[in-house]
Amino acid sequence: ATRSDFSSLWSIETAAVFVLFVCVPRVWFLNFFKGTLKFTDKHEWVRVEGSIGTVGISNYAQEALGDVVYCGLPEVGQKLEQMEEFGALESVKAASELYSPLTGEVSEINTELAENPGLVNKDCYGEGWLIKMSIEKPEELDGLMDQSAYDKFVKSLED
Amino acid sequence: MFLRPGLWTGLLPVRTHLSGFFSAGIHSKLTKDGSLIFQSKSTDIHQNLALEDWIETNVDLTNRRLFLLWRSHAAVVIGRHQNPWAECDLGAMWRAGVPLARRRSGGGTVYHDMGNLNLTFFSCRKLYDRQRNLKVVTEALRRARPELDVRATERLDIVLNGKYKISGSASRLSRKASYHHCTLLHSADGSALQSVLRPSTPGIHSNATPSVVSSVTNLTDHAPSLTWEELTQALVQQFNTEFGLSSPLSLLDPSDESLFPGIGCMASELRSWDWTFGKTPKFTIETELSLSDDLTLEHTTAQLHIELKNGLISSIVITVQDQWLQQTLINELCDVLTGERFCPHRVAAAVSTLIKSEQDETQRRLHKLSNTVISVMG
Repeated sequence: ATRSDFSSLWSIETAAVFVLFVCVPRVWFLNFFKGTLKFTDKHEWVRVEGSIGTVGISNYAQEALGDVVYCGLPEVGQKLEQMEEFGALESVKAASELYSPLTGEVSEINTELAENPGLVNKDCYGEGWLIKMSIEKPEELDGLMDQSAYDKFVKSLED
Repeated sequence: MFLRPGLWTGLLPVRTHLSGFFSAGIHSKLTKDGSLIFQSKSTDIHQNLALEDWIETNVDLTNRRLFLLWRSHAAVVIGRHQNPWAECDLGAMWRAGVPLARRRSGGGTVYHDMGNLNLTFFSCRKLYDRQRNLKVVTEALRRARPELDVRATERLDIVLNGKYKISGSASRLSRKASYHHCTLLHSADGSALQSVLRPSTPGIHSNATPSVVSSVTNLTDHAPSLTWEELTQALVQQFNTEFGLSSPLSLLDPSDESLFPGIGCMASELRSWDWTFGKTPKFTIETELSLSDDLTLEHTTAQLHIELKNGLISSIVITVQDQWLQQTLINELCDVLTGERFCPHRVAAAVSTLIKSEQDETQRRLHKLSNTVISVMG
């Protein structure tokens, strides 16, 4: 083999190695967590995207609550401990406190909810999100329920 | 509040606490006497609201319903997300010695006095059923006075003769427990009610939960012979009938810390300024002030714009017409007020130094402007 043949082979191999061992796992990793919801036993969910967690309430919670008429949310910059009360929702049925699923700092709040609190009922996993926060202790995610564990948990409450 | 660990979660009393050995505690009443219906001895609004919190946090309500009856001396009670400056006349309340309380449940503003009976239905979330709770009240009234037309509405009010409200409801859901409480107007002071349930402050813009104003009436206006004794007995009996129970009525003293450990702390939190006023959702005030110099009678108007967060003045802008007072001095006044509680006493104290440092006409007008701004606070 000539030197030039060898170089082209080397670059193909490098590219193959790169794709197999770097890109694919990275894509797999991001896809695994992207859109994955984790749940607390107080019916909040958190969706991890990079280093930010988006927080909302589950469908079970929004149904139990009824039509939301007011959302009391924290300030951006507020530091939260896991399980700390960070706000409250008021619905036609009752007032209900909100508890932080993780430890971190509030980076964004859903300002749409001030004018349109009903989004929490209409689209609780999408446009009805409540806050975004930084994730200070990623290990706390391990203690939260995944979708199937949460579904089992909800079923146990209904029995 | 809900995060405070329950002292016990089963039927066994707390091993380390004396209340487990003496029989006057609620837990013993639950287990020994099988009592599920209680009446509070206290007539203090904050003490009774703290009792509700304490029961919700500390009593295991799994498959259980509890019923609490209580009354309080004159007080105005606002819902969790309401704005007191929009709902009640704080100045009139201050002068009449009527305290303000913010409850943890949602809903609107009510006036309590000894002519009003409060009913709290506690249960686990699974058994939460407000319509059924109100049926206890309507059926009890129907049995006691069949001639009265009482009905629960979709809004969970109870109306008499189709148009007068005699009861309003509010509720709270926490992780496992819930409570639904309602008022019941037996013989409340109607004129006192009207004089305090109106706004303190003009020009409020807010998305706090507003109250729905209704015409109210007392039960005794339509059934003058209905005594407290008879009403209480009817409610106790109907609660038992509705839920298939046979519970006696037991008295509770919520000021007894040995029976309700931690209740004093809960009551203090409910009495604090930070809870009562500081939990007001952010709002703005946009209004026009009328100013006149007390000596020269020179008159002008001013635009007032205040932004409030957590009950504190986060920003204030005053624009006075006709150069009635120097703008630099007005701006100094605004700087002094920024960050202060939206409270007449605090604000008066904060501006006094500034006023004293001026003289003659400037001092007079600055004083006038300050007092006019203070009057907006109720």
